[in-house]
Amino acid sequence: MNSQKDFFQSEEIHPVKSSSAKSETGAEQFNGLKEKREERIALLNILEDIEESREKIEEEKNKTLAIIYNFTDGLFIFDKENNLFLINPQAEAFFNIKSKDVTNKTISNLSGFPTLKPLIHLLSSQQPNVKTIKKIFRKEMKLRKNLILEVSAIPIKKEEKNLGTLIILHNITREKKIERIKTEFVSLAAHQLRTPLSAIKWTLKMLLDEDLGKINEEQREFVEKTYESNERMISLINDLLDVTRIEEGGYLFKPILADIQNIIQLIINSYKEQIQERKIKFEFKKPKTKAPKVKVDVEKIKLVISNLLDNAISYTKPGGSVLVSLKYDKKKIEISIKDTGVGIIKDQQERVFSKFFRGANVIRMETDGSGLGLFITKNIIEAHGGKIWFESEENKGTTFCFTLPIKRNIIK
Amino acid sequence: MAKKILFIEDEEILLNLLQKKLTNEGYEVFIAKDGEQGLKKMREVLPDLVLLDILMPKMSGFEVMEEINKYPELKKIPVIVISNSGQPLEIDRIRGLGAKDWLIKTQFDPQEVVEKVKKQIGE
Repeated sequence: MNSQKDFFQSEEIHPVKSSSAKSETGAEQFNGLKEKREERIALLNILEDIEESREKIEEEKNKTLAIIYNFTDGLFIFDKENNLFLINPQAEAFFNIKSKDVTNKTISNLSGFPTLKPLIHLLSSQQPNVKTIKKIFRKEMKLRKNLILEVSAIPIKKEEKNLGTLIILHNITREKKIERIKTEFVSLAAHQLRTPLSAIKWTLKMLLDEDLGKINEEQREFVEKTYESNERMISLINDLLDVTRIEEGGYLFKPILADIQNIIQLIINSYKEQIQERKIKFEFKKPKTKAPKVKVDVEKIKLVISNLLDNAISYTKPGGSVLVSLKYDKKKIEISIKDTGVGIIKDQQERVFSKFFRGANVIRMETDGSGLGLFITKNIIEAHGGKIWFESEENKGTTFCFTLPIKRNIIK
Repeated sequence: MAKKILFIEDEEILLNLLQKKLTNEGYEVFIAKDGEQGLKKMREVLPDLVLLDILMPKMSGFEVMEEINKYPELKKIPVIVISNSGQPLEIDRIRGLGAKDWLIKTQFDPQEVVEKVKKQIGE
């Protein structure tokens, strides 16, 4: 426990040195003795005070240690030289290690312990390593089949002085399990819903095609509207299924080299009617020389572009304009979709990419939409190793931009 | 003589709808409500084309295709899979098992099924 002194006893306690004066005469002697006695009493009092302070400090230290040892999260504390200074029993249990085997070892020495490898790997994969952790970060780590931890690394600072790093390991196995069950439930429900929805679609289509006999104009009108409602339901279910696939992982499938400009043009063509109908000025700004091909999952990128274009068109009032532009440099292709639409309310902007988000101003103008489109879009772009962002001002318009890397392609 | 189509599907309404549609188009339509029955009917009728669902009781569409592949006289009959999910992995497996074509129920309607059938075996 010696090494813990630095942490829990920041101030050293120095005993007060006693001075012994020499006295000669009787009166002086008496006075001297009296003084000495008083001195001794004073000294004893001081010693007593010191003892008391020491006890207090000891008690505080024990309290702090008790908190650390009984904490339900696993804790690792590294000192400023990056030596493992202390671990608590919960951390010992997570990694099947003994405190005495691992304390006072450096990070690189710790990777010799097989059970610690994933943690050390996670910590050293930080930019550039654990030594330079400046702010809190959180990562998930699967340790074994039934143990998933959330690792938080927190720099310990006292008045700007770096004292080391605190690693907190929070067991999130149960949360992850619930999340998985929820995903599975949504997936199952959505799958089950597709069969009756298909039956409705096929029946209505056959009615409309008059395969089941002639229908009159009024009947046709109603059946057509019902067919449209059913189509909306199908697309909502498909969005939900996409979300569950994202959450289950393995959403992207076959990346192939593709010409993004062609894909964009294809999507734009499918919106031509809608653009004319809504009297929107539309422009597609292409680069002078064609952008290089990039490796993408074509179907998913189509979905991204049509999600963004659909939003731009739907939320721009007649007479407004939508501008799609494509540019590139050595590293990436950048696509932006700018509209003069209703915009996103400022205090809702940080939620734009979250599941089921719908802008308050948008709900009022059009009731359609699952609030899943941008969540799906962001996931697709990020799985391609790209970035997506936006700028928006209420009643002025919104610009969504995303990039796709030309060379490096991370496909999960 | 009318060309023969066997439709293997457990959802009764889909069976009825497509039977009606294909009959109107001049095909002779046979139906089966699960994979096992479908395979039996296939041997009896030796149809010109099979429309096959994937998720079915007793025997799935995958198993039916695996079985078909064992017999040359069944293997030469073109199969179009009518699937519910359309997950890329599933489609890959369908292709691997030798299906001529596939379609996803919620994305297609009976008219488009007819067009796919015509593309395979003509009117």
